[in-house]
Amino acid sequence: MDQTATVTPGTDPAAAPPALSIRGLTKRYADGTLALEDLDLEIPDGSFFGLLGPNGAGKTTLIGAVCNLIRVTGGEISVFGRPGTGMAARRMIGIAEQEPNLDKFLTVYETLLYHGGYYGMDGREASERAEQMIDAFDLRAKRDVEAPKLSGGMRRRLLLARALLHRPRLVILDEPTAGVDLELRHELWRYIRGLHEQGTTILLTTHYLEEAEALCDEIALISGGHIVARDSAEGLKRSHGVETLEEVYLKTVAGGRIAMDQLEEVE
Amino acid sequence: MNPLPPVEVEPHPWRGLAWLTRRECHRVLKLWKQTILAPVISSLLFMIVFGLSLGDSIAEIGGFEYRVFIVPGLIAMAMAQSAYSNNSSTIFQARNDRYLDDILSAPMSAWQVHLGYLAGGAMRSLIIGVVLTALALPLTGAPLEMPLELIVAVVLTIGGFGALGIIVGVYAQSWDNQSFINNIVILPLIFLGGVFYSVSRLGTPWEQISHLNPLFYVVEAVRYGFLGAADVSPWLSLGVVGAITFALLAWAQFLFSTGHRLKP
Repeated sequence: MDQTATVTPGTDPAAAPPALSIRGLTKRYADGTLALEDLDLEIPDGSFFGLLGPNGAGKTTLIGAVCNLIRVTGGEISVFGRPGTGMAARRMIGIAEQEPNLDKFLTVYETLLYHGGYYGMDGREASERAEQMIDAFDLRAKRDVEAPKLSGGMRRRLLLARALLHRPRLVILDEPTAGVDLELRHELWRYIRGLHEQGTTILLTTHYLEEAEALCDEIALISGGHIVARDSAEGLKRSHGVETLEEVYLKTVAGGRIAMDQLEEVE
Repeated sequence: MNPLPPVEVEPHPWRGLAWLTRRECHRVLKLWKQTILAPVISSLLFMIVFGLSLGDSIAEIGGFEYRVFIVPGLIAMAMAQSAYSNNSSTIFQARNDRYLDDILSAPMSAWQVHLGYLAGGAMRSLIIGVVLTALALPLTGAPLEMPLELIVAVVLTIGGFGALGIIVGVYAQSWDNQSFINNIVILPLIFLGGVFYSVSRLGTPWEQISHLNPLFYVVEAVRYGFLGAADVSPWLSLGVVGAITFALLAWAQFLFSTGHRLKP
C-alpha cells in the first residue's frame, strides 16, 4: 500500500494545525547560559517564516530543539499537530544546518541516498529522489565526489538537497546562503520560493535582512531567548515608525538607541 | 527543475535502522585495509612468531601445544579490539564533524541508532574473526570443539566491546582519548588475561588477581569454544562476560535515549 500522500496545505487554515507550535520553550545549557526562556511561537501551515536575530539570540538553539538536536529544559513542541519528539514529526521536518555537516565517507549521491534511507525511503525511491536532487541542485558533475572534496558552494547545495530529499512539509533553513556567491544565492532563493509555492512551510534564519524581506511573508525578531517582535516586513516597519527592516532590527534587537544613533551617523 | 510538493508519510518502523547499519558496514568496507587487513596481519604475526617460531621450545599447556593454545586468545583479542575501535572512532567522528545530527534528527528511535552503530563494529569484528579462524586452524591445527559456546562467547564479546566503543566515542574529547583506552586499558588487560599463558601457572596471589580481570573471562570463554577446555568453568566465563556486556549495552542505550553528551 502506498503510504505517501501529497500534501495540499492551506485549504482550511482555521482547521489545519500549525506547521510548528512551540509553548513555553526553555533551554538552559550546562554552563548556565539561558538560551531560550519560556518562548512561544506558532508558524502557520504553508507560511514562509523568517527568524532574525543577532548571534547568540537563540535562533540555532530554537531550531535544534525543534529538530531533536538539543535537550530542552522545558516546554512543548508540536509539528503539524504531532508531538515534536515523535517519529511522525521528525519525518515531516527537513533541516539544512548553518555549518556544512556532511558525512566525510560518502559521495554526493550516497549522502542523499543514505539520508533518504534514514528517513524511511526504500532503496529505489531514495535513489530516484537522489538523482532528481542532484539535477535540481546542479551537482551532476560531482555526483561521485566525496563531501570533503567539494567546494563551499557545492557543499551548501548538497546540504539543501539533503534537507529536501525526503520531501518534508516543514523545511528549516539555518543561514542557507551564508558565504555563498550572489549567483548561487539567487538560484537558491528561486528554488526555495518554488518549494514554498508547492506548499512547503519554510522557517528561515538569516543575517541578510534583504533576504528575509524578499522571501518571508512573516518575520519574527528574537533576542535574548525571547521573541521581541513579529509581523510582516511592512507591518514591522509601520509599527516601529521606520523605513527599513534594518532600522526595525536595530531598534528591537541590536542595542536600541545606541545602534540607531550609529546608523544615523553613518547615513 | 521545479520542486515537488511535500508529502506526508508515516515513518517506516525499521528502514532507518537498516540504512544506518548499511552505512556503518559501508564505512568498514571502504576502509578495509585499515579496518580488516591490518588487524588480521598483526594477529597472524603473533601466531607465526609466538606460536610457530617459538612454540616448539615452550611446553604444552593444559595438554595443548603452545601454537594451538594461543590461537583462541589472539582471535578474541583481535575481535574485541576491532569492535571497540570501530565504534569509538565512528561515533567520535560523527560527533566531531557533526554529521551525527543527520541521524539524530531522523525518525529513528534511540535503540535503532544504538543498534545501527553496533552493527558496523560487529561486522568488522566478525569478518576478522572468521578470516583469522580460517587461517589459524589449518596453520596451527587448533580444534573447534564447542561451536555453540563459541558463538555465544563471540556475540557477547562483540556486543560488550562494541558498546564500550560507543561509550568512549560519546565521551571522548579527542582522538587521543580513544587510543588511550585501547592502549592503556584494553590491550594490557587482554595480555594479562591469559592470551599467551595459563593463569593457573602463575600461582598465588597472581592467579587470584588475574581472576579480577574481566578480560580474563573473555579469553577463557572463547578458548573454551575452540579447545573445549579452559582455566575456569565456561558458565562462569559466559556469566561474567554476559553481565559486563549487559551493563555496557545499558550504559550506551542510556546515552542514546537521553542524548547525554550527544546533544547539548
